[in-house]
Amino acid sequence: MSGLTGASQPKLRPGCRLSESAQQGDVVLIPEGVLRLVGPGRKIVERCDGQRTVDDIVRELTAEFPSVQPERIAAEVTTFIERLHEKRVLDF
Amino acid sequence: MTLPGPLSLIAEITHRCPLHCVYCSNLLEMQARQIELPTETWAQVFASASELGVMQLHLTGGEPLAREDLTELVSAGRKAGLYINLITSGIGLAPDRLEALVHAGLDHIQLSFQDSQENAANEIAGTRAHAHKIALARLIKRHPVAFTMNLVVHRQNLERLEAMIALAEELETDRLEIAHVQYYGWAMRNRDTLLPTRDQWERSLAIITAARERLKGRMRVDFVAPDYYAKYPKACMGGWGRGVILIDPAGRALPCHAAGSILGLEFDNVGARTLRWIWEESAAFQKFRGEDWMPEPCRSCDRRALDFGGCRCQALALTGDATATDPVCTLSPAHTLVEAVIERVNAIPLPPTHPGWIYRIDPPNA
Repeated sequence: MSGLTGASQPKLRPGCRLSESAQQGDVVLIPEGVLRLVGPGRKIVERCDGQRTVDDIVRELTAEFPSVQPERIAAEVTTFIERLHEKRVLDF
Repeated sequence: MTLPGPLSLIAEITHRCPLHCVYCSNLLEMQARQIELPTETWAQVFASASELGVMQLHLTGGEPLAREDLTELVSAGRKAGLYINLITSGIGLAPDRLEALVHAGLDHIQLSFQDSQENAANEIAGTRAHAHKIALARLIKRHPVAFTMNLVVHRQNLERLEAMIALAEELETDRLEIAHVQYYGWAMRNRDTLLPTRDQWERSLAIITAARERLKGRMRVDFVAPDYYAKYPKACMGGWGRGVILIDPAGRALPCHAAGSILGLEFDNVGARTLRWIWEESAAFQKFRGEDWMPEPCRSCDRRALDFGGCRCQALALTGDATATDPVCTLSPAHTLVEAVIERVNAIPLPPTHPGWIYRIDPPNA
């Protein structure tokens, strides 16, 4: 149980930052490693600014992808944030 | 198909070091200060590395803090777009210097610890460093930088593994890297006093597995198993010339830390060749790249694309032949060499009576 709720305000931890390269595409650089971001990964991470809540992020992505069910977006955002929390990349 | 570039650059910016660890991974012949690359050359290397595809820069040594221009090197790396890891003993890191390094763009500090117990830690390092490291860890936590505690474990300190993990928790480490000693470089000289018993190894695995589960989401726990107790070899460096390029203090480009031990390989220098040429064309990087060099049983083995035949330097250290299958592999015809060592060290009782350490000395000054 990570304790993540709709009101949580995720943000990148110290020593974790967004980047990109011609070879790897969008990535998060972390200690000793590179996490490649696929699908909506980048759009989620760049909204993890410690200000927006999880609900805000879901709302913004729902507006951006009106053809996708909001429940699916909410589930995907939550799973993604929890996974990166477990990897010590995001805090909330 | 074009060859993918490396993702990581290991920059051994100096071989000077205030510690004298009995398991030092540097080569036996270290380079003197006088032939170290100047700041500008390193800055050019970082820019070329970034163009080649490198994203991670590992500033290491020796002790990288021994370079007075370290802050400039961090700036140069960030300017080139790289993520900056500093691998350090912490000796020489005063508060104002830490401040300057973080300000210059340092992303991550990996601080080495030798033990949880002060006397034992100092004995391994051959110097009184432990108390300073503890104080420094607390200081690092006050800066916006990722913090890894690196612990090298072996026969003499494994009994305190739980205490070492507790120390990492107390210091609020983001990431804990627990690495069993590997036996090339200086560690080979102290192998019989460092190699754990099978029982120690198995208990360490159980302790680490439990800690990893318990600390999930709070601390990342990475673990390097001892090669000698493995069933299959590790994919050393992720495969020769596949993801990592190492530049030594004088500017020679190597596929791994210990490749210089392989006689007959010539390593091109960044002063004479471009990094791209070295990566793509040089003989040293092509020597064990891919599968053409592989002997049996690797050549027809299903695992050849997983472990790439293991570690070339270990094959050399144990068999005298760098092209042999890594003897730690249970499928290797030379595996009996490893079994003999395991049998011998398991017969040595624990705890040992005062090990007679062989300390390494400083690099030459002339």
